[in-house]
Amino acid sequence: MNYKNTYIQKIGMLTICSSLLVMSACKKSFLDVDPQAKQPAVTFWKTADDATAAVNSIYGNLRNWANTAFPALAIESMGSDEAEKGSSPNDSSYMNEYDQFTASSTTIQLNGFWEGQYQNINLCNQVLDNVPAISMDANLKARYLAEAKFVRAYSYFRLVRAFGDVPLRLNVPKDASEFNIPRTPKAQVYAAIEKDLDEAAAVLPQSYPAADLGRATKGAALALHAKVAMYLKKWDQVLALTNTVMTLGYNLFPNYEQSFRLNNENNIESIFEIQCELLLNNKDASNSQYSQVQGARGNTPDTGWGFNVPTTALESAYEPGDVRRNATILYRGETTPQGDAISNTADNPMYNQKAYVPFNKIVTSFNQGADQNVRVMRYAEVLLMNAEAANELGNITLAQSSLNKVRARARGGVAGVLPDVTTTDKDALRQAIWKERFVELAMESDRYFDVIRQGRAATVFGPKGWKAGKNEVWPIPSQEIEKSAGTIIQNPGY
Amino acid sequence: MKRIFTRISVLVGICLLAINVAFAQNITVKGRVTDGGDKTTIPSVSVLVKGTQNGTQTDANGAFSISAPANATLVFTYLGYTTQEIAVNNQATINVVLQSSAQQLEQVVVVGYGTQRKIDVTGSVGSVKGEDISKQASTNAISALQGKVAGVSITNNGAPGSSPQITIRGTGTIYGNTGVLYIVDGVWYDDISFLNPADIENLSILKDASSQSIYGIRAANGVVLITTKRGNKGQAVISYNGSVGYKVVTNPIEMANATEYATVINELSASNGKPNLFANPASYGTGTNWYNQVFRNALQTNHQLSVNGGTEKTNYNFSLGYTNEDGIVKTQNYQRYTAKLSNDFQILKPLKIGYTVSGTAIKSKDIPGSIFRQLYAAGPVVPVYYADGSYGDANDFSLGGGNNFNPQATIDFFNQKSLNYRINGNVYAELTIAKNFTFKTSLGGDFGQNEVRAYIPVYKATQGQSSTQSQLDVKRDETRNWIIENTLTYKNTFGNHNLTVLAGQTAQRRKSYFVNATAFDVPYSSEGDLYLTLGNAGTRSVTDGGALTTYASYFGRVNYSFKNRYLLNATLRADAASQFFNGGDLWGYFPSVGAGWVITQEEFMKDQTIFDNLKLKASWGKVGNAGVPVNPTTLTISQPGGYVAIFNGVAYTGKNVSSLVPSFLNWERTTGTDIGFEAAFLKNRLNIEAGYYNKKTEQAIFGIPVLTSIGTSSGDLIGNQADLRNRGFEFSATWRDVSKAGLSYSISGNLGYNKNKVLSVVTGRNPIYQGGTGLTNGGLSTRTIQGGAIGEFFGYQVAGIFQNAAEIAASAQKGAKPGDFKYIDTDGNGVVDGNDRIVLGNPNPTYSYGLSANLGYKNFDLTLDFQGVAGIDIYNANIASRFGNENFTKDFYDNRWHGEGTSNTYPSVNLGTTANSAPNSFYVEDGSYIRLRNVQLGYVLPSALVNKWKMQRLRVFVDAQNPVTLFGYKGFTPEVGGTPMNAGIDSNVYPLQATYRFGVQVTF
Repeated sequence: MNYKNTYIQKIGMLTICSSLLVMSACKKSFLDVDPQAKQPAVTFWKTADDATAAVNSIYGNLRNWANTAFPALAIESMGSDEAEKGSSPNDSSYMNEYDQFTASSTTIQLNGFWEGQYQNINLCNQVLDNVPAISMDANLKARYLAEAKFVRAYSYFRLVRAFGDVPLRLNVPKDASEFNIPRTPKAQVYAAIEKDLDEAAAVLPQSYPAADLGRATKGAALALHAKVAMYLKKWDQVLALTNTVMTLGYNLFPNYEQSFRLNNENNIESIFEIQCELLLNNKDASNSQYSQVQGARGNTPDTGWGFNVPTTALESAYEPGDVRRNATILYRGETTPQGDAISNTADNPMYNQKAYVPFNKIVTSFNQGADQNVRVMRYAEVLLMNAEAANELGNITLAQSSLNKVRARARGGVAGVLPDVTTTDKDALRQAIWKERFVELAMESDRYFDVIRQGRAATVFGPKGWKAGKNEVWPIPSQEIEKSAGTIIQNPGY
Repeated sequence: MKRIFTRISVLVGICLLAINVAFAQNITVKGRVTDGGDKTTIPSVSVLVKGTQNGTQTDANGAFSISAPANATLVFTYLGYTTQEIAVNNQATINVVLQSSAQQLEQVVVVGYGTQRKIDVTGSVGSVKGEDISKQASTNAISALQGKVAGVSITNNGAPGSSPQITIRGTGTIYGNTGVLYIVDGVWYDDISFLNPADIENLSILKDASSQSIYGIRAANGVVLITTKRGNKGQAVISYNGSVGYKVVTNPIEMANATEYATVINELSASNGKPNLFANPASYGTGTNWYNQVFRNALQTNHQLSVNGGTEKTNYNFSLGYTNEDGIVKTQNYQRYTAKLSNDFQILKPLKIGYTVSGTAIKSKDIPGSIFRQLYAAGPVVPVYYADGSYGDANDFSLGGGNNFNPQATIDFFNQKSLNYRINGNVYAELTIAKNFTFKTSLGGDFGQNEVRAYIPVYKATQGQSSTQSQLDVKRDETRNWIIENTLTYKNTFGNHNLTVLAGQTAQRRKSYFVNATAFDVPYSSEGDLYLTLGNAGTRSVTDGGALTTYASYFGRVNYSFKNRYLLNATLRADAASQFFNGGDLWGYFPSVGAGWVITQEEFMKDQTIFDNLKLKASWGKVGNAGVPVNPTTLTISQPGGYVAIFNGVAYTGKNVSSLVPSFLNWERTTGTDIGFEAAFLKNRLNIEAGYYNKKTEQAIFGIPVLTSIGTSSGDLIGNQADLRNRGFEFSATWRDVSKAGLSYSISGNLGYNKNKVLSVVTGRNPIYQGGTGLTNGGLSTRTIQGGAIGEFFGYQVAGIFQNAAEIAASAQKGAKPGDFKYIDTDGNGVVDGNDRIVLGNPNPTYSYGLSANLGYKNFDLTLDFQGVAGIDIYNANIASRFGNENFTKDFYDNRWHGEGTSNTYPSVNLGTTANSAPNSFYVEDGSYIRLRNVQLGYVLPSALVNKWKMQRLRVFVDAQNPVTLFGYKGFTPEVGGTPMNAGIDSNVYPLQATYRFGVQVTF
């Protein structure tokens, strides 16, 4: 073997060794790769900042499609007599199935609503399960937990109204054995909602510094609890809760139409709003489609898709001189108080003005009206709940007084219209309060379940196809039933 | 155009310069090389003047022409044949018959980590010569494989520069990376659109598990091995190939014209209780044909220049390529520049080193993906332009939101350019350590950068197409991958025993990163303005992300044969992937074994004359797929924009846990069994191969829907959830001969049959619904369920059309209107609802086949390729996607229901309603097709003539790709594709087009 060959063999062996060395030396760490651009969950739930961010996610998620757009409108508005599909006839005509009560367990948007509420609930449960162990300011921690309870209660309330019994999850599933659970009886779900709201109200502050504007307040927890109690006909509780809210400094915003505009968001009447904003530097966060899906269709400029439009039944429900009619119904061809002319070529005669955002706020490539907050609970509703509870409990004077406060604003300063309700007859007063809820809260997704709660749905919605014994609730999405392999049982009639 | 000519002249200039170098005057010897066995001509035979580097190659017809001293000796060399030396002795014509070394025994195929004699292969490997790929008009090499290899199904996408979908023996993976693994010169890729087809020497498709398992880690969907051209010993051979041609849409869809459109839209309004939109439909005449307005015959040019040569100790191959392809949509353009250099150096007797480096630059002008939808939907009553030159506006015709656009304005104001740079290649060293040992180390890298820049100006084209602010979007992706491989090979022969043993080890790292940024109010007085920094500071936003995976593997192989008669191949690969670190089996082990029996080598077969070759083979192997998402078992925090909280108008980051991850994830494994035979008859003129395979994917990884009430954002949990099976057979046959009159020809055909089935799912008969695109109105059109095929179409079965109110009253669809679909109430409960849906079709092709003919006569050559698929369905999602007054096809217009008795198959114009547009059997159509894939006619100019022009060879050709496609499907193209559970849903795919070219091939 000559010198050259030995030399080459040495080089060769060196190459082999070095390449094998590279491998074995770093084998373990070489394959242990960190997730990229994603924070591992094991590093989360450690600091107060983590708790803050997690609670933020609960609020942010409330803006999404399922909570504010098609799924919510399909489940919570289409069935009512105040709204119908709108838009162009062929666009998303399944919405008519909710309007005409032909919806089945596979109808589009049904699963979206179910999913959306349970996504809210998961985010809340994550906070409620994980934040307690974080070492942080005790007061702030308690408030964060209370905020999560408020949103969890709000989401369960939306579910139980829509579906009746629903699986009740108050913790994140620990493992697969907790994935598939049956529906929990409605009463237990309501009990859990009430417990959450009680606990939330005990902790939440009456108000926040400006930087925290939009978070759930004590008033919000109390008012939502009052609404829940109203659905349970617990009138003592409704009265007590609303009486408390009425001492917290809320008042009616003087101008009904103006109270729904961008510059009057979170006003003195506002009890809870889903906070939305059009952020030019954050399109992903400018994701509310609440106004877009309801904006006038076929308008110039393009203001939206034209869904969930007022009916003539709503239009004719207003008494003469009621300013709320023109503030609620955006007519084709009208010029708004903000000076926008709605095109004569718009597809539909009427649109929901409460979702209207002035044209100058529309930014190309963003969802139209992405900045419009969604009004979940207003002080006017607290007054009306107070009136209804007072009436049910025989306090006619209080009932009249609370009711007439709401009517007074609707006169828009014009004397002689919308006279005070003076009847002392309990039934007549109840009818008046229900009627007032209709026009005051019109197009705010209250009417449908309100009428069912009142026990009049067969009368009011019957002509559209609503049937007692079936349509009190919507069907459970068929996909969920299939996935549960029979653990989840369908509602009767579907 | 001016720039194109500049480029052409530069290329031509280089060619001309080279002529003087390459050409030294002697006598010209011409001739033809044929195979001693089957008498066919042999292309690419190396012809060398002995003792010099003066050489050439035979052309496609086996012909050569070389200048050599009158007393020289010519050396003819070709892989698999015995080298021949022939003295020139002043002869002007020398015809050579090469004997294959031992019939087919020496034919070699490229397999994993090396080559193998074809006769020794016990698995299933499809091999395609580079020439068969580069001669086609396809700019992507994979596209050119269509119909060439049994069991390999290619779905082409007509967009310039796009990558086709390739499926080898059926869909075996549902989740993550479902594509095949490409290995180019030892470096791994997921996509090879950067590769110039002209640089390909050979392409091998590893089809069965035993051949794939040496690449266990990513081989489950098949492996495509590509070797690029390297230098050959001999004087520099300079070749120029160029072509120019154009593409034309072959199967346009005829839409309703303006009068027809106005008629049906009035019908639609009436059916919805609305007034007529058009007072006098006839007054609109034929109106605008939007397809004709926006489509064009698109120019395509291609230039290839290569220099190839070498000495005993070094060789080189250098190539430049340029492709310029217009899209059939006006404004679309794609340009690709490639350069490749490879060198091999035998620096010392036992040590060889070399490298390949290739660079690619791709520039494209893009079109919006929405344009095909717009062309389908746009109202023909709207003019392209008004008399004053402004855009015709759908708003002026009150067409509503569904088609409130002018497609011409859409492409005019779409300004997006993409730039893609890529450098990749490898360096290697090969050392012969002792007599029988070879050690090879190779380091490969792939570095890419992709930029997309889109600009929207402030404009107002129509009421519906405007922007109040300008916007600049910049996207940048980076890829940084490397791979190290070390192999040690031992090769020896002991008497009748042939043994090759390979051991190897590899490590890989794959990293990608992207950043997307946007700013508003960016001025645009010149390209120099297009920087985010010039935009409104308050509107700038940035997002980024990335992925990192690492792999480490060891592998080994033993090839053994006894008397060339009994064959045994076995491999084992052990792979570790970062995906499976922490939770799961970090290491996956993938064995394989194959055995073969070459019956014709048996003593008792010696005297038979029927078979020239007969081999039985059987193999079994396991492969895996690490192409699942990174860190699948690591629970991570979600922080999407939707979680951003707004308080007092200010945004605050939101984070939370909104997913579930499995605690444990195992390798998905595919086990394949193959049996087959190879036979040659009639002096090797007829070759037949047939095989049966059974490929079972075990513990397939994919997301199983979990209960929505758990509240995750994805709604599913990935895991090892199912067993899938692809079973089928493949058959191919080739006939090659030369007639007495000198006509050489070959005819080959192949057929693949595959049946796909979901064998079991851990959750039982839980269906997975998908295929819910915007175009199916959110209806879920596919279902994957135990016992069915992956992603089969699912929906209502149409029984007919409701003709009148009485029929409706008697039906299970009380809410229907006359003209609506009448669905079958399959469960017979008196109500048509989701429970009545049934399986409507299968998007997975059952049969795929190809047929090719090559003919050579004197200086002419002709190629014909036919190809097709059968037993496949398509979901035509275009037609029912309606939000307003979208246009209809002429077919629909002609056949629609418009009053009692007018149709019992086509519904009324009101087919956009939820009930009518729900996935149903009307939209599921047969997707079978057969087509003339390629036809090429070439002519080699007489040597005497071209020699005067200082050329060795000049061939001219005309060809056509896809000139004729026959299908019944009512969309643009039956080639739809899609991800496994969303396959075959046509939502405005790129139209089918034919390419017609003229080209020249020159060798100096």
